[in-house]
Amino acid sequence: MTERLILRDVLKRYGEKTAVDRISFGVQEGEIYGLLGANGAGKTTTMRMVLGLIYPDEGTITYGGRPYGSEVQRLVGYLPEERGLYPKVKVSEQIVYLAKLRGMSGTDAEQNLKYWMKKFDAEEYYDKRIEELSKGNQQKMGFIAAVVHRPQILILDEAFSGLDPVNVELLKLAVKELRDQGASILFSTHRMEHVEELCRNLTILDRSKTVLQGDIREIKKGFPREQILLKTSGAVAGLENIPGVTGVEGDPESYLIRISDEAAAVPVLTEAMRQSEVRHFEVKEPTLNQIFIRSVGERHE
Amino acid sequence: MNRLGTVIGFTFKNKVRTKSFVITTLLLALLITIGIHLPFIIQMFVGDDEGGDNRIGIAANGQTEIAQQIEDYVSALPGNEIQFADLEGGDAAALNKQAKDQDLKGYLTIAPSEGAAFPAVEYVSENGSVPADVQAVLQPALESAKTRFITEGALSDEQIRQLTTPVQLSTVSYDQLAGTGEQNADGPEGDKFNPMNFITVYVLMTLFFFSAMLTGNMIASEVTSEKSSRVMEILITSVSPLTQMFGKVIGVFLVGLLQIGVFGLTIAINLMLPYNREVLAGFDLDFSQMPFDVLAYGLVFYVLGYFLYALLYAAVGSIVSRTEDLGQAVTPLTMLSLAAFYIGIFSLNNTDSLLMKISSFVPFTSPTTMIARIGLGEIAFWEIAVSLALLLASIFFFGWLSAKIYRTGVLMYGKRPSMKELRKAMKAYKI
Repeated sequence: MTERLILRDVLKRYGEKTAVDRISFGVQEGEIYGLLGANGAGKTTTMRMVLGLIYPDEGTITYGGRPYGSEVQRLVGYLPEERGLYPKVKVSEQIVYLAKLRGMSGTDAEQNLKYWMKKFDAEEYYDKRIEELSKGNQQKMGFIAAVVHRPQILILDEAFSGLDPVNVELLKLAVKELRDQGASILFSTHRMEHVEELCRNLTILDRSKTVLQGDIREIKKGFPREQILLKTSGAVAGLENIPGVTGVEGDPESYLIRISDEAAAVPVLTEAMRQSEVRHFEVKEPTLNQIFIRSVGERHE
Repeated sequence: MNRLGTVIGFTFKNKVRTKSFVITTLLLALLITIGIHLPFIIQMFVGDDEGGDNRIGIAANGQTEIAQQIEDYVSALPGNEIQFADLEGGDAAALNKQAKDQDLKGYLTIAPSEGAAFPAVEYVSENGSVPADVQAVLQPALESAKTRFITEGALSDEQIRQLTTPVQLSTVSYDQLAGTGEQNADGPEGDKFNPMNFITVYVLMTLFFFSAMLTGNMIASEVTSEKSSRVMEILITSVSPLTQMFGKVIGVFLVGLLQIGVFGLTIAINLMLPYNREVLAGFDLDFSQMPFDVLAYGLVFYVLGYFLYALLYAAVGSIVSRTEDLGQAVTPLTMLSLAAFYIGIFSLNNTDSLLMKISSFVPFTSPTTMIARIGLGEIAFWEIAVSLALLLASIFFFGWLSAKIYRTGVLMYGKRPSMKELRKAMKAYKI
C-alpha cells in the first residue's frame, strides 16, 4: 500500500500564533485516516492546507507524489462541516455543476449522481431545491456533491453531524464503500466511536501540536487498562478492599470497577467467584474517548 | 477555459431563471411600452377634447381691423387648426352665452381703443386660462397686429415680418472660423449638435450607470450568498478564484446584456407600430443620423467600465459574510458610480471643462465622461487612446487586487474585516 496523501513537517503561523506546528502523517490508498482534536487545535487549518485553500509556511503536502496544483484539484473531494450547497438551486443542477468544475463530463456526472441518489434512497429530491430538504437530506446531498466526481482523496469534516442514526449508518456504509474502492479519506470528527469503527490510524492534535499518532490498536495497548466490567448472578461485597481497586460503581450483579493496576484483575475475579457465579468478566481496554480526554485533557491542567 | 465556460453558464442560467429577474424584466418592458405609447395616448385624449371644435370667438368692439389682422395672421400660418367666429355685443353675459352656444374654446375681447394706444386684449374662457398651443399662435398674431396698428401702414409687410422675426445668434468655434475644422464642413455647427448625438450619449451614460449599479450589486450579493452558504469552500477548492470571479462577472454581464436586449427589442417593436411611428415623426428624430463612431466608442468604454466596477463589487462581496452587511460595504462603490454619472450628466452642455478633462482620464469616471466628450465635445484621438489604456491598466490592476481580496475574503467569516486585517490575512494565507 502506498501513501497517497502525505503531510511532512507542516507548519502554519498566523502572525505570532502558530496554528499548526510541524505535523506529519500519511493517508494510504483505501484508508480512512482520523484527524482528531479539540476545538481550535488546528484541525481546520490542517484541512484547509490539504485542500489548498491556504499554503503551509513550512513543510510539504504531496498528493500521489505531486505538489498542489489544478490537476490535484480534480482528485480531491471535500465535504465541509456546514453543508455548502446553493440553497436555491436544484439538487441535480448544482451537483452536476460542481462535478463539472472538477473536470468531469456532464453525462458522467449525471450518471454518477443517479447512482448515489439511488443508493441514498433520495431519488425524489433530484429536482428539488436544497432549501426544501431537511437538514439530514441536505447533508446527504452535500456528501454526494463531495464524492460525485470519484475523488481519490476525500476530506470529510464532521461528515455525520446532525444526522439521525439511520442516516449515519447509511453514510458510514458509503464511506466504507469508497474506502474499499481505494479512496484515501481524511476524516475529522468529535465522535470517537465513529473513528474507532472506521479508522485504522489517527492523529490527535492539541494546541497545534501532535499529541498522539499511529495505529489505533497500538495506541490502545499503550494505555493502561483501568476498568473491569463484572456481571454476576448475586451480589458481591468487599471488592473495594482489594489492593489496586480505586472505586466500584453499579448495582448488584453488574459492577464497573476502576483499577489503578492491571494486576488487581485476578484478585477481583477470584473474590467474585468465591462469593457468586460470574456471568461476565472483562478487563476493558480504554475507549478512544478516554484516551482522547486523557491525552488532551491532561495537557489542559 | 473550459471551467470558465462552466462557471459562466451556471451563473447565467441560474440568474435568468430567478423569479425576481423575470418579473423585473417584464415589468420594465411593460413600463417602456407604456412610456412609448404615452404621446399617442395623450394625443388621443387631446383629440377627443378638441372634438373638431378649435374655434375661438373674437369680440371686436368696433376694432374690426385688428380682429381681421389677427384672423389673417393666424389663418396664414402653416397647419393652422384654429378658426375664428365673430361675436356681437359688448356686454359680458351676452358674449359668454354666445361662446357657450357656439361651443367655442374661448374668446378674445378687444377693448375699445383710447387714442393711439393699442387696445387691451383679453382671452376669456371657461377656466380662465389660455392653452399653450393657442397662446403660441395668438401671441405673435397680436404682436403683428400691434406693429401694424402703431406704424399705421408706414412699413411694408416684408418689413413688419423682419421686425417680428427674432434675431438668430449662431455659434462657430475658432477652428471652424479659421477653416481648420474642415471635417465639419457640412454645416457651420457640424454634427455635434445633432440631437441623436445627444440622445446617444445620454442613453449610454444612463445605461452604464444602471448596469454598473444593478449588476454590480447582483454580483456582490451572489458572492456573499455563496460565502454564507459555504458553497464557496467547495468552489474555491475546485476552480481558481480568478476563473471563478471572471466567470461570475461575465455570466452576470451576459444576463445584463440579455435584459438590455429585451428592452431594446421592446422599444424597436413599439416604434414599429404604425400609429407610434406617426407620433414620433413629429419629434423630428432621424435614426439614420445615429452617430456610429460615438456608439462604438461608447460600447467599448461601457464594457471596460463595467468590468472594472464588477470586479470590485465581487471583491467587496467576498469580504462580507452576511447579506445584511452588504449594503454598507458597497456604499463607496455606489458613490463612485454616482459621481461618474453626475459629472457626466451635469457637464453635457460644457464638455470641455477642466473637470471633464480630468475625469475623462480617471478610470472610474472615464466610461461616462469620455463618451460625453467624444459625442458632444472636441477631442483628439490620442486622448481617447490614453484614457482607454488607463482604463485597461486599471482593470488588470484591480482584477489582480480583487482576486487577492476575493481569495482571502472568502475564508474570513464573522465581522467585516478592516483593510488592515485583510492585509494581515493575505500575508498569513500567503496569497
